Amino acid sequence: MTVTDIATTIDGDRAASAVPVARRPALRPWAGLLPFGAFLFLFLLLPTYGIVEKAFTGDGSPETFFQTFQDERKAFVGSVKVSLVTAALGVVFGTAIAYAAATATRPRWLRSVVSAFSGVAANMGGVVLAFLFFTLLGRQGLGTKIVREGLGYDLYKTDWFDITSFWGWVTVYMYFQIPLMVLITLPAVDGLRPAWREASANLGGTTWTYWRRVGLPVLAPSMLGGFLLMFANAFSAYATVYALNNQANVVPVKISFGLSGDVGVRSSTPYALATWMIIVIALAMGGYLLLRKRAERWHAS
Amino acid sequence: MSQVGRHRFARLGPNLVLIGAAIFFIAPILSTARQALQKVPMPLFTWGTLFDKWSLAGLTAVFDEDLFWPALWLTLKLAIATVLITLTLLVPTALYVHLRLPRARPLVEFLTVLPYVVPPIALAAGVAAFYRANARWLFSSQWALVPFYVIMALPFTYRSIDAGLNAIDVRTLVDASRNLGAGWLTTLRRVLLPNLASSILSASFLTTTVVLGEFTIAVTLNKQTFPVFSFQYFGRNPQGGIALALLTLLGTTALLAVLSLLTRTKAQRAARQKIRMAAAPLPIP
Repeated sequence: MTVTDIATTIDGDRAASAVPVARRPALRPWAGLLPFGAFLFLFLLLPTYGIVEKAFTGDGSPETFFQTFQDERKAFVGSVKVSLVTAALGVVFGTAIAYAAATATRPRWLRSVVSAFSGVAANMGGVVLAFLFFTLLGRQGLGTKIVREGLGYDLYKTDWFDITSFWGWVTVYMYFQIPLMVLITLPAVDGLRPAWREASANLGGTTWTYWRRVGLPVLAPSMLGGFLLMFANAFSAYATVYALNNQANVVPVKISFGLSGDVGVRSSTPYALATWMIIVIALAMGGYLLLRKRAERWHAS
Repeated sequence: MSQVGRHRFARLGPNLVLIGAAIFFIAPILSTARQALQKVPMPLFTWGTLFDKWSLAGLTAVFDEDLFWPALWLTLKLAIATVLITLTLLVPTALYVHLRLPRARPLVEFLTVLPYVVPPIALAAGVAAFYRANARWLFSSQWALVPFYVIMALPFTYRSIDAGLNAIDVRTLVDASRNLGAGWLTTLRRVLLPNLASSILSASFLTTTVVLGEFTIAVTLNKQTFPVFSFQYFGRNPQGGIALALLTLLGTTALLAVLSLLTRTKAQRAARQKIRMAAAPLPIP
């Protein structure tokens, strides 16, 4: 891919220098991107500008912008907690599943089923996903009953689990976080050449040395990048958590409260929250894009 | 011996991981199917009633809801409009970047992932903030959702079309077609679009699944789309809502299965064609 890129670039340069007179103004070719740029400007940039403007005008100001962060600290803590936990668990389970699927030889369809299913499930979420888990782990859920009758453990008599509270959200989020991680790490796992493992074994390395000195360092950029992407993914999720619990104390639900005219807050509050949210996600995504470049170095070509 | 032993148990860990994953991902679908298709009151879903009263009544009940058909129709209209706008915007842009402005590729790729940074709830807030004040007609129209759905699907759709262009030698195809005297429209219609068919198809299906599932912006802007209806229906009638969730899941899966079948036969046909062309003797002009 990069080779053809370079080739076309060189070609283009040669074609340009072959016309010695009347060099075209350098900006003209960029006009072709105008429709696309205008669309992004109208429907992505202007709304974003609208958010930031509303956060700082009217009853909003730089002071209230920081005050909002203070006031809604609990919502931010809730969002960050669920994002960190689901991203960390996603890294562990996603990488393990990707490795297991990539190295399995026996059912030949296994790998394609895993990657096709991951493609579907990673984009799931929202209302339907919440309903699926109500039927499994809700108070009357079938899974809840199986655990109660089979293991004698009543999830709803414990103080930690409820489908509408933290560990419930985490469980539901894993349904799209794990597949997302599988999609991200599968190419990296494919890049682990069997020869490296043999080389490590020939040099006297154990399985543990192989993973610590070769496997994990090669996978690390993908794992960290996946972590950041999943963090952003969970941080921005609204429909799933709202369908599970419309009183959930997380940032997206607070924004929707504010938008629907919840009394007792400044009218600039939801926009200040949305601005904070964009900042957090931009940081995570920026890190992801940087790491992806590094991760692609070892991808099998 | 230890070598053999290690080999025998080397797959134990990975296989356990795969089995565990299969259970986690299939269990919610099974429990949903049971609660949707069995006419049993919620508390009575136990092992003892596993084979009682299976019926499709739960699924079909939703068809009698007054708001079901308008919501479904609205979402389908939105999906079609979103696909059309996505394609008219992205196919020419991606082609242009490939042919005329390769140095803009990193920039365009960066722009297409920007929608990730503005999550749906923030985009909804932005639409409310900017368009409610400045373009009320757009804000209140039922089509208002379309441009924002195009934006939301952009990271997937652009990548899919870009990958399609990477897979074929666009420049050579265009040059060949132009040398044979074809105009731009003919080149597009008879050379490029057939070659891009599978990536255009997958971009369309991805867009459709985004529109079929989108809840956040629709509910914030107060539009009665299908996901919004599903949510409200679940509130009125939980068992019906679960049945509808199962239907939605089946519908989406069927859509994606059709997609993979269509693209696969397309790819296979193309591969066969290539082989045939390679095997055929060169035509003498």
